[in-house]
Amino acid sequence: MTNQLVVQISFAIYALLIVGGGLWAVLDKSLIRALVGLILTLFGVAGMYLLMAAPLIALMQLLIYVGAVVVLIFFAIMLTRAPAGGEECDKPDVRQLILALLGALAPAAALGFAIHKYAKAAREVASEIAPAVLGKVFLEPYVLAFELISVVLFVAMAGAVLLGFERRRAK
Amino acid sequence: MPDMNTLLAGIPAELTRLVLALIGLMAFIGLNGLALVWVERKVAGHVQRRPGPYEVGPFGLIQPIVDAVKLVGKQLATPAGADKFLFWLAPLLSFLPIFLLFIPIPFSENLVGLNTNLGVLLILAFAGLNVLALCLAGWGQNNKWGLLGAGRAVAQSVAYEIPLLLAVLAVSFQTGSLSLAEITAKQGAWPWQWNIVVQPLAFFLYFICAVAETNRAPFDLPEAESELTAGFHTEYSGMGFGLFFLAEYANMIVVCSVATVLFLGGWQGPVEPGWWWFLIKMYALLVVIIWFRWTYPRVRFDQLLNLNWKWLLPLSMVNLLATAFAVKLFA
Repeated sequence: MTNQLVVQISFAIYALLIVGGGLWAVLDKSLIRALVGLILTLFGVAGMYLLMAAPLIALMQLLIYVGAVVVLIFFAIMLTRAPAGGEECDKPDVRQLILALLGALAPAAALGFAIHKYAKAAREVASEIAPAVLGKVFLEPYVLAFELISVVLFVAMAGAVLLGFERRRAK
Repeated sequence: MPDMNTLLAGIPAELTRLVLALIGLMAFIGLNGLALVWVERKVAGHVQRRPGPYEVGPFGLIQPIVDAVKLVGKQLATPAGADKFLFWLAPLLSFLPIFLLFIPIPFSENLVGLNTNLGVLLILAFAGLNVLALCLAGWGQNNKWGLLGAGRAVAQSVAYEIPLLLAVLAVSFQTGSLSLAEITAKQGAWPWQWNIVVQPLAFFLYFICAVAETNRAPFDLPEAESELTAGFHTEYSGMGFGLFFLAEYANMIVVCSVATVLFLGGWQGPVEPGWWWFLIKMYALLVVIIWFRWTYPRVRFDQLLNLNWKWLLPLSMVNLLATAFAVKLFA
């Protein structure tokens, strides 16, 4: 019982970190401060992985997102030297706000609905999976999904390069 | 309250160990900070054919305490136009993760804060926060030297993190584990049984990258005092600077400890295993890093990046592939 309470409290803390960090990231006018909000969110997500008994994924989350992605975002902000008072700082009109909220809630609602309706039999207590087993699973039964993820990354990278080229041609 | 009892009965063993480890580590990090400042100044002195500090106490041993008292006593000033929140967040962010880095390090068979099978990963994951702290410091202080220092810190650490990770990976491929305890256990007591014999290139790469990741000379470009005043910590006074300083020394201890575990057999020294062997190896590596600083001139920034992208990265890739092949063939 008490163990469950500890887990629930930790869940609440991590959820607060995620939501609070997300709001901070969206609402702060200074880009670098918004980045700190994003870092909080990423830490919260890592905590969630820990609760699901997946410390490997939690640490990978920190290593990749906090250690590399956030640092690269920082680099991008610093290179562009975006001023803290751009046109995004104006108060958005109500229609825009409502549409944005809808856009944010729609996927969450759809996913929540799907999870509730077609709930997979979940274990009461998550069990930790050894890194070796995880690696084997990735490269044997789930190899297609695993490789598809790398395709997603490749497409994103190619897209970024393409956008960069187009913008240069327009000048 | 039976609930309270089960709560106290369920967690404590681990929790008490962690709390004790943290208290011990605080003392260890603080004392080492003081000791290393003294060693650094003494080594610097002798390299440059002068005695180093010798006035305060025997052999100048009290000097670092005097320095520390001076640092603590100084006023904390925030520069005009600085982002106050980010400015003071940065030194804390640089210092706090240090304890997490020390927790999985096995100083001896039982002298370890948290025996986890992901020790290497834990250290690598939280070591990344230091760069972030440098960035926030450089950005928050509204100073062009600071910003330039932060820019250099980003480019440098992103670059050198890759060969560092690949070198560490080569060792964990060979051992088949990310646990520091297991990596130590798989090596023997004698030098020819250590990983450095099998993985000399990985050790070489790891050590260079570790010096670069801790921003030590000849790779101390983020603070390069002759070009950027003090780089990312230009505007910090008193303990703001003190925390960065302590974090740098603590990070040096961490990278040397990890090198000791990965390549030098950890606490399994020759003859009689024990924590003293761990400390001897670790301090030997630390002295080498200090020795580097007072021997080599600082590299230029393009040299720094060229060295990494043209040499260290391809070499570490080749090393990793060779290790993978060898593991498949012979194991």
